[in-house]
Amino acid sequence: MKKLSLLAFLLVFIQSVYAQDRVFMTGFFPEAALTKKLSNGNKINFKVENQEYFYRNVEDPSERWKVSHYRTDLMAFYDWKASPLYSLAFGVFHRIHEGANANRLIQQLAFIQRTRIGRLGHRIRTDQTFQTAEQVVYRLRYRLAWDIPLEGTTLDPGEKYLVISDEPIFGLQGEEFDIENRLVLSLGKLIDEQNKIEYSIDYRTDGFFQDGFRNRLWFKIGYFYNF
Amino acid sequence: MRIYRFSLLFAACFLQAALVFSQGKIEKEKSIKKSEVPEAALEWLDDAFEEIKKPKWYQEFFENGYSYEAKFRFQEHFYSVEFDSLGRIEDVEVEIQLSELASEIRETIEAYWDTNYEKYKVLKVQIQYSGEEDDLEDFFDEDSMEGVRIAYEIEYHGKEISGADEIWEATFDSAGVFISKRKIIIRISDNLTF
Repeated sequence: MKKLSLLAFLLVFIQSVYAQDRVFMTGFFPEAALTKKLSNGNKINFKVENQEYFYRNVEDPSERWKVSHYRTDLMAFYDWKASPLYSLAFGVFHRIHEGANANRLIQQLAFIQRTRIGRLGHRIRTDQTFQTAEQVVYRLRYRLAWDIPLEGTTLDPGEKYLVISDEPIFGLQGEEFDIENRLVLSLGKLIDEQNKIEYSIDYRTDGFFQDGFRNRLWFKIGYFYNF
Repeated sequence: MRIYRFSLLFAACFLQAALVFSQGKIEKEKSIKKSEVPEAALEWLDDAFEEIKKPKWYQEFFENGYSYEAKFRFQEHFYSVEFDSLGRIEDVEVEIQLSELASEIRETIEAYWDTNYEKYKVLKVQIQYSGEEDDLEDFFDEDSMEGVRIAYEIEYHGKEISGADEIWEATFDSAGVFISKRKIIIRISDNLTF
């Protein structure tokens, strides 16, 4: 109960910081990813992400605290191993979002940089989103993630790790340009060589150049299985 | 002929086993407190490197035992000092740049890469000093080379002429002659990639 009051206070505080014309929502964000490693070193990945909000700063107070489905994203990637540290991927994506279902094509270059403490994961993506009666959205995104083992210099099965990542996303739809940013802090556990679980706080901001600067704060739980 | 074949097979198996053993694969590594380190290791480090402040201590577990490792920065280089389970010094590794090696040693190493790889990129170079406890101590605090053996441990990304494109860790002797290598397994990064 104490924790819940603290959370409510935090949300009211965040809301008061931002003016009413700024959109704020928060909720739960479970995700799961399956990665199959092929004999040629390439990989196939399937991922599902589900967003359920429980608070929005809408005008009608009765609508503010309400658990409701926001969106579900399904995606699949084929990832080519270009070298032990570099890979190229092509992905397809489908979004289930009330009144705004969408499909997306994704192209990606990812590489790993091994550092003295943990490693850095770089991911450069371009994507094109198609939605009925809307112009195509073209985006360019770059994510930098720092994966830090918490119990030594290397991550061994059974150990915890931290991931700090940030991803600016540049989008163009018709003549409208926008920037989104995603800052994520995750606490993970490498259960064994095949299973990982991550608890994260994902803070997304967008609408910098359009009406309604938007903040979204997600409490994530992610499960990663590779075989 | 049959005995000859059998002996050859036996020798190959033995060599393979020896190679696997010599790689000493670390199964688990964790950071530990100074209070968990054997006294002998703390004393040796204090005698050999009087000026270092707070080294970070780790315990490494192998299939058949464990060891201790101290990591620290000293005189602009990263050091890694390995001790056995009783705290006896095993070796000291110092990270350097390839350009810091004597030119004849570097040329010998580069000749090995040029012969065996289509392309390569050096990632990390370490000089490994090993020898008796007192000899190693004298080397670090008095610069005496007596009884100290030198080898070079180099991590590099190399595409072999035969096709294997991997991250390798190879050991070269004091003259830069290739001794052995192993493939470095990169842990899957599905959470960073997708």
